[in-house]
Amino acid sequence: MKFVKHLLLLVAFCLVSSLAVAHSPLCDCFDNGDGTITCEGGFSDGSSASGVGMTVKDGAGAVLQEGKMDANSEFSFPKPEGDYSVTFDAGEGHQVVIKGENIVQ
Amino acid sequence: MALAGQPNCGKTTVFNMLTGARQHVANYPGVTVEKKSGRFSAEGRPVELVDLPGTYSLTSYSLEERVARDFILYDKPRAIINVADASNLKRNLYLTLQLFEMGVPVVLNLNMMDVAERRGIGVDARGLQEYFGSPVVPTVGKKGSGAPQLKAAVAALADAGPARAFAVDYGPLEPFVAEIGDLVAADPQAAGAYPSRWLAIKLLEADAEAANLLARHHPEAAEVMERVQALRARFETEAGLSADRHIAFTRHRLCADIFRRFVTVPGEKRRTLSDKADSFVCHRFAGPVILVLILLGLYQISIVFGGWVALQVWPVWGSLESFTEGLLPAAGFLDDPLLRSLGMWTVKSVTAILNYLPIFFLLFALIAILEDSGYMPRMAFILDRLFRRFGLHGQSTLPLILGGVYVGGCAIPAVMATKAIPDERARLATILVAPMMNCLAKVPLYLILISAYFADHAGMAMFFIATVTLFMALPVAKALSLTVLRRRESAPFIMEMPPYHLPTAGGVLRRALERIWLFVKKIVTVVVAVAVIVFMLINFPNLGRERLEDYAARRDAAVDAFMAEVDKTSFKGRIAPEDVLALVLFEEDMKSAKRGVSDQARADAINARFAEANPVFYAVVSREGKDGKALNRALKGVINTRKELRRNMRAERFEASFLGVAGRALEPLTQWAGFNWRINIALLSAFAAKENSAATLGAIYGIDGEGGGSVEQGMLAGEEGFTPLHALALMLFMALYPPCIPASIMVRMQTNSSKWMLFSIGYQTLLGLAVATLVFTGGRLLGLSGVQAMWAFYGLCVAATVGMALIPEKTARELSGPQTRQPKEGIAS
Repeated sequence: MKFVKHLLLLVAFCLVSSLAVAHSPLCDCFDNGDGTITCEGGFSDGSSASGVGMTVKDGAGAVLQEGKMDANSEFSFPKPEGDYSVTFDAGEGHQVVIKGENIVQ
Repeated sequence: MALAGQPNCGKTTVFNMLTGARQHVANYPGVTVEKKSGRFSAEGRPVELVDLPGTYSLTSYSLEERVARDFILYDKPRAIINVADASNLKRNLYLTLQLFEMGVPVVLNLNMMDVAERRGIGVDARGLQEYFGSPVVPTVGKKGSGAPQLKAAVAALADAGPARAFAVDYGPLEPFVAEIGDLVAADPQAAGAYPSRWLAIKLLEADAEAANLLARHHPEAAEVMERVQALRARFETEAGLSADRHIAFTRHRLCADIFRRFVTVPGEKRRTLSDKADSFVCHRFAGPVILVLILLGLYQISIVFGGWVALQVWPVWGSLESFTEGLLPAAGFLDDPLLRSLGMWTVKSVTAILNYLPIFFLLFALIAILEDSGYMPRMAFILDRLFRRFGLHGQSTLPLILGGVYVGGCAIPAVMATKAIPDERARLATILVAPMMNCLAKVPLYLILISAYFADHAGMAMFFIATVTLFMALPVAKALSLTVLRRRESAPFIMEMPPYHLPTAGGVLRRALERIWLFVKKIVTVVVAVAVIVFMLINFPNLGRERLEDYAARRDAAVDAFMAEVDKTSFKGRIAPEDVLALVLFEEDMKSAKRGVSDQARADAINARFAEANPVFYAVVSREGKDGKALNRALKGVINTRKELRRNMRAERFEASFLGVAGRALEPLTQWAGFNWRINIALLSAFAAKENSAATLGAIYGIDGEGGGSVEQGMLAGEEGFTPLHALALMLFMALYPPCIPASIMVRMQTNSSKWMLFSIGYQTLLGLAVATLVFTGGRLLGLSGVQAMWAFYGLCVAATVGMALIPEKTARELSGPQTRQPKEGIAS
């Protein structure tokens, strides 16, 4: 039946599509100057980033530390030696990766 | 005097050619259709020219057509200039014939003669003039040639009237037309109000507006209508097709006939490239596949790539926020001055929407490409067969895509885009279901709930919510068109299939920018107004004195603790208790100045500026010396306490506010859907703008995190277990939730009726509540888990969709005649 064919096509279209981006994730990290780094997160629409997963990785991609944004949407960690990166991960399409070299005092 | 013509015939250039810059733009009374009028002088006499909306025909199917027709009928222009595209005369003549039928003097203006010449098309203007018995004037509107002749013809016609009135010969229908014409003209009072032959034809066409007209003017309207029905029935049995189709076919045949007699086309008509392309694009099997691929590309570029662009552009909006922040009065420790909190709230509401601009820009540009290339009408043609079954129209495609067929759209441009749908019933149905699509702002809430309650089935849950909306919208559209919209006018699918064009960058850009600008203008003003109202609703009444005193005491304790640390260091005497707030703000400012800076040299420059501004504060913030380090730690404590106190205060104030009270009042009703009063508050604030739902839930209820504040923990602990079933009911309610306030206002503008706006808000709320109740209460009674209930509901929706598709809709079926599958004809009826 033609109608069913159309319906199936619509469903197929939906299946292939991936998850959309909605509000933009925001994350800024600051070097506190005492050997620690603090990251502040949020979303463009003003949503809190509390509970969002944070991962610190070294230059080779090995995980150094994992944690979550606290109630104030902040996450602090000891500054690693050498190259590193911080990932703010609020789900697919909502990730921000910040390189250590771009985090300044 | 009035100017009429089909879209894209160069009507505007002719209008400008005649009136120059002297024009005045207003709306036709009671509708949003633009009315442009101007003046010019013909043979020394002043003439007022009104530009009628561009229409293909003069039925009462679309707003534009009705406006144009009513103007001719009631304002009785002395003459009408009918602008026709000389290079495409066959189609344009369809309107010309109907204008003649209305009994007004008509000057046929053959415009775009240059294009016709370039294509080697010859038009015999003199022959046409003799045939119609009315003046025919060729012009090239773009170059302004032919203007004097046109003005002269208009003046002469207005004075003398046409040589003879041209009338279409309807053959076997003529006796019927004559009989009804006599009946209609029998009443002398009614006879003067409208042309009787025209009304007779319209009545035979079963035109609803014509019936209304008759009822208003004719003393024996009921008897006449009865006779009309009887004659229609008799004609249908005698001729084997309905009177309205006979009329349409006769007009089309006559157009083709006139075209053959007076227009010469170069050589034998060869199969154009467009025709060849159409045999693939509109193919029964290849067509839908191509369509799906194009939609997929549209989605990938606008939503996925656009989302990435939006992120890159965000610093612009972020700096707009911090710029306003700098202009407003400084923040307080606990409370900010009203001007600051209201100002920041408003700016943030606006930037939340501006953030979507890159996505919409890409979407509008891609749609302009689809339109300019000529694909859009073909897409509508392909989907018309499917959408018809649900009371929608081929041209509902664009609004539904804009609304977010899968995930990521916005109801506002979607409702705006329904303007193009010529079928009144389908247009309203589309307006009413477009907000049920998944707009961008609903997604954050979905994400929160899915990651919290369906973490193990996240992909499937996202697929579920993204597609179930379509399976809810389609049956609802059908149900609406079978019930509340039953009496609305429905139109056959008539759409011009223009040849394919290569879109130009300039044209696409201009159109995208125009639409973006329209969107920004309409939305930003509305959002500002709404933001102010919502601000009041969630901030007042303020907390009681006792609570405020409690917070003040906690603030003082934090400051005292900090001062105790100060006194232990060399900063003793250099920082006073009243400096603490300034120090906290200093730290904040310094941080935001360095936000996004990734270059140490620039950061150092910013540091130096702050060091100069206040060396003492700088020493603490940047941890200078042993005392600086010690005090910095204490400062962090103060900052955290301040954040916590402010957050808790905000939550507490929200609960006590007008909105909070309303949320509590609704709890007895919503408990069956699994919503407690806290969720009610979040949903109420989401009505203002969908973005708020996630923000509110996140900020107040800690669903999105482990929660840190004592108030949040207390609330979560006091709340009975929130299960996946609750989450599912909430997601479905959100999907069906009424359009947000800006979208509702757009509904009001497009339907031109507050009643429809209220209806759209009301029915979606009730439907959402009913579905949420069904899923929650039903799921609990049957003992289903969240995932089980999800798929059970999905099956129900798919079944409803298939069921609804099988219910025949008489008018739609009857009207989609055999010609629907002939796009190359130009007009499918």
